[in-house]
Amino acid sequence: MIWQPLIISLKVTAAATGLIFIIGGGLAVWLARSRFRGQSVVEAVIHLPLVLPPSVVGYYLLVVLGQSGPLATWLGWNALFTWPAAVIAATIVGLPLMFQASRAAIANVDPTFEQAARTLGSSELAVLWRITLPLARRGVIAGLILGGTRALGEFGATLMVAGNLPGRTQTLPLAIYDSVLSRQPELTQYLVLLMTLMGFFSLWLVRRVEPGRASPTQALLRRGGWAREDGQTGNRLEDGE
Amino acid sequence: MSEGEGRCLSLDIHRQLGDFHLHVELEVGGEILVLYGASGAGKTSTLNAVAGLLTPDSGEIRLDDRVLFRRDAGGRGGRGDRSSLPPRKRGVGYVFQDYALFPHLTAEENVAFSRWRDRDGRNHSLELLERMSLTHLAGRLPHQLSGGQQQRVAIARALASRPRILLLDEPFSALDLPLRERLQQDLRQLRRELDFVALYVTHNLDDAFAVGDRLAVLQNGRVLQVGPVDQVFRHPVDQHVAEIMGLKNLFRARVMGADFKCLHLDWAGLAIEAIAPPEAAESTVTFYIHPEEVKVIYPDVPITEDLSHNLVAGRVVSHQHHVDHGHDLSVRLTNDQLVEVRFPDSAYTELSLVSGEEIQLCLRRQGLTVLSPPPTEVKNE
Repeated sequence: MIWQPLIISLKVTAAATGLIFIIGGGLAVWLARSRFRGQSVVEAVIHLPLVLPPSVVGYYLLVVLGQSGPLATWLGWNALFTWPAAVIAATIVGLPLMFQASRAAIANVDPTFEQAARTLGSSELAVLWRITLPLARRGVIAGLILGGTRALGEFGATLMVAGNLPGRTQTLPLAIYDSVLSRQPELTQYLVLLMTLMGFFSLWLVRRVEPGRASPTQALLRRGGWAREDGQTGNRLEDGE
Repeated sequence: MSEGEGRCLSLDIHRQLGDFHLHVELEVGGEILVLYGASGAGKTSTLNAVAGLLTPDSGEIRLDDRVLFRRDAGGRGGRGDRSSLPPRKRGVGYVFQDYALFPHLTAEENVAFSRWRDRDGRNHSLELLERMSLTHLAGRLPHQLSGGQQQRVAIARALASRPRILLLDEPFSALDLPLRERLQQDLRQLRRELDFVALYVTHNLDDAFAVGDRLAVLQNGRVLQVGPVDQVFRHPVDQHVAEIMGLKNLFRARVMGADFKCLHLDWAGLAIEAIAPPEAAESTVTFYIHPEEVKVIYPDVPITEDLSHNLVAGRVVSHQHHVDHGHDLSVRLTNDQLVEVRFPDSAYTELSLVSGEEIQLCLRRQGLTVLSPPPTEVKNE
């Protein structure tokens, strides 16, 4: 009874995190470096799931994914009450967190670095992959972890569009709800503890990659070979002959 | 002066930036052309236009037969004759003002950035690091390098892609003098070896002298004068250029008359002559004489024909001796004007030049430039 919802949750979260990275990252790259009319509206729409009640998000998803929605009409795919519907719901609610953090991190990258890379023969894609994302990586990773964790905890919209089918769409949060309703206090406690631990773990991860603090591996690298009199004391190394 | 085999970068660009209108026309051969001017004169914008980081409204940039950019005037938005190569295809190496070394990559990775895919490129990068005596620092991140080391990494990185054009934006401004001089020499040496066209932005005249083959003086987005560095110094075309260059020994004089090759001037009571075309004859002119063109006259040495004109007398106000360029003298003339004199160490060692000493000077006619007034100035008496 614990394993089934855990596996479904992990599967849904993994797929949602992938989508969050691609879509949220793409939107962040696009919007961090452009200025156009209506940009604030686009950004507001992306952020909307953060402030809307889950039932409202769920309703919109019902409209889009339902039998008379565009997916069913054009693709003949009725996604309701399948695990992909849970993935879509989880993606929508996780997206704003990823977008916000990585957009800020990308906007913080000095454009001169990107221009330097362009003069050094890089295509726009190469600039993104070799300069922008590596320099913004802390913000991007932090956003991804927060977004992924939010996706893992998604409940309301998932219930509305994917249902609560044990073994098919029942994720951990739904299983907790179910176990409370069916009076299985022990199971509830296990599941709640499991989710709490996962939450702590993700917060711990975010703290480690948060901008402004050296990651442990980098600190180790610096303490090793090259660190002699650098950075921390503010001394620049003398010009070697 | 230019030993490049027919390399020629030519640009003629217009760009409106708010109130500022950039209009630069230049031809650069196999040489280092210094772009000199105050900040805001359009130097960096010019480099950015060549690199493709700034798109001119109209104009043309070409390297030999290759068009890097072209757009007809009034063609903005229209689909007329226009083409623009993206920065990555222009064959340009750019040394940015703050170096812009990638902070997440080591010195070696920075240098090899443009050639990361091929082994040959990596070897080339290692050679460049060695050339810049940076091999022992290859594994360091930029923040672990001193300013001079970062500078050399930046130059090596810009050269790694074998550019045909090298752009340098105030590259040595943050460095101390000995290091600066070494890098200036390195740069001239590298240019001869690798044969690229170099545009070098600076607002430091010592830099301009040390690295430049030619000098272009920019102000308000326009090129006021282009020429060999020494020539621009000795013969600025007009008062503007002289002022921008911060030249001393600029004086006003009244024109008394002109004959077939000389202008006779009344300089606050002293009669002097200048070799100047008669069309420069206006009631009042500005003339300039380079401190090295003011010669100190020995009392005991006969005056040569060359120094037989424009003899003036005065008293030494101050005397400084510099190891690198000799003596600097300030002399107050009998007409109360202050003249700067510069002469090398080898000469005149026997003269006593303490302050208050009487001294005779010659303002060499050939070195005296009558400047045309700035075009905007309204003339009055």
